Amino acid sequence: MTTGTVQDGVHVSDLHKTFFAGTVQEKQALNGVSFSLSPGEFAVVVGSNGAGKSTTLNAIAGELSVDSGSVLVDGDDLTRLPAHKRARYMSRVFQDPMQGTAASLTIEENLAISARRGQPRGFRSALRAVDVETFRTALEALGLGLENRMKDRVALLSGGQRQSLTLAMATLKRPRLLLLDEHTAALDPRAAELVIDATLKTVAGGEITTLMITHNMDHAIRHGDRLLMMHEGRVILDLDKHDKQGVTAADLVERFHDAVSDRMLLN
Amino acid sequence: MEFLTVYMNLLPASLAQGAVYAFVALGVMIPFRLLNLPDLTAEGSFPLGAAVAAALISSGWGIVPAMAWALLAGSLAGALTALIHLVFKVTSLLAGIIVLTMLFSLNIRVMGQPNTALFSHDTLFTVLLDADGGTPITQFAVLCVLLTVLCAALFWYLHTEAGLALRAVGANQMMARAQGLSTWRYVIAGLAVAGALAATGGAVMAQLQSYADVNMGVGVLMIGLAATILGEALFGSHTIARQILAPVLGALVYFQIVAVALSLGLRPSDLKLLTGLFVLLALAVPMVKARFRRAPSPSKSEPRP
Repeated sequence: MTTGTVQDGVHVSDLHKTFFAGTVQEKQALNGVSFSLSPGEFAVVVGSNGAGKSTTLNAIAGELSVDSGSVLVDGDDLTRLPAHKRARYMSRVFQDPMQGTAASLTIEENLAISARRGQPRGFRSALRAVDVETFRTALEALGLGLENRMKDRVALLSGGQRQSLTLAMATLKRPRLLLLDEHTAALDPRAAELVIDATLKTVAGGEITTLMITHNMDHAIRHGDRLLMMHEGRVILDLDKHDKQGVTAADLVERFHDAVSDRMLLN
Repeated sequence: MEFLTVYMNLLPASLAQGAVYAFVALGVMIPFRLLNLPDLTAEGSFPLGAAVAAALISSGWGIVPAMAWALLAGSLAGALTALIHLVFKVTSLLAGIIVLTMLFSLNIRVMGQPNTALFSHDTLFTVLLDADGGTPITQFAVLCVLLTVLCAALFWYLHTEAGLALRAVGANQMMARAQGLSTWRYVIAGLAVAGALAATGGAVMAQLQSYADVNMGVGVLMIGLAATILGEALFGSHTIARQILAPVLGALVYFQIVAVALSLGLRPSDLKLLTGLFVLLALAVPMVKARFRRAPSPSKSEPRP
């Protein structure tokens, strides 16, 4: 194994974060989160509320500073970089459909912003004909007809459409890591299925290293090459593609209880 | 019709005055509308621009360098407000009040006195028009040319990658960060441009009236805001072109309303009350409308000031 392959991919090591340290509300949100993703891997994260899933994602994205631990992408240490500088490496789709797009800008303007993610912005025209064609192709792939509404303000779109657009923006310029934070949780079931389908189409090619949080056990079992279960700020279960085969939701609940009681015994 | 005669007499001067305040209105529109960040610095950067231009012109500087320094000073004032807001997490309103209060002292330092007269000096208007500085109509024509150039530049900028990034930061800071935009950089840039516009307005005003006074900024923010709201109501704001034209045309219309109010016998000192009432009304109307709607739903977005 060469050093290159060791460093490639995403390495999250021993993240710790305590909110309100030293007060009565003290909460240990991250308690040593560690995992690695090899290039192209699609990992799904499950866990109960307060397990630290979103906190982990925010720590990776740089929206949250950690007390200790490190985040490496392809060998570059991002731990001290602010969120906007980490955008060179990663892109995000949020739970709230309002957060990923700028409502007062048009669809094509939103895409133009994401087309230069992580690159300097100069005084060239933001919407060039050649780019707009790329945007059209990306929108066509979603199959929602948004390619015919490129000059519409995003405020006019439904939650599902906005989430699909955010996904297109996150992958227009291929990220080295795609973070999906329960990106279908705020949608109605039909829109959620559409967005999940679009996600699989984008991600399943094995080209984009992806970390997806979900509350949906069914999604977690059916999709992805890897399943991480979190509890109390730690990864308590890590199943690879092979281990995942044939696992049911009931199995997972049982494994969850086993893992939790094991830890209680150890403690 | 005595009213009409009085109004017709006021018309040319009110057009010229409206054109000067159009600079300020543009400088108010950028933070309030494009950045969604209410900023009051214009109250200080407008007289700052006047003070710098007047001080330099009265000590023999050329008009172009004097105005360039005024513009630069205004952009620094705007950037300072942005930095206070960003570094110390002070609300933008308070940050602006801190800066404009400090600028009051600074403006007197710049001029060495609370006011400076330019009657015996060349100004933009004496150079371009005649020795008397032209008539209100010719002054208006000069200002229209300046404003056209400025609006075109702003239109171009807001369609560049950097300009679009600025609008994205104003629309959604979370999205902007996720797309790699430094929200700091664009907030500083936006307030600097706004300060430069207000200061340019001040520099032009000082030359138009051949006089700069430390108190000339009092109330300009409300005028800029009223002009922006009025322009948006009349001409819309759904495209960049309209969003740029709204404050400019709004300022021109606003000073026609002022001229009408004056011809009806109101005193100039009543105008600030009138402006305040107008802005209050503009803010209240959407709220009252919403309350009278059948199923009142809590609106997700804050009412735009």
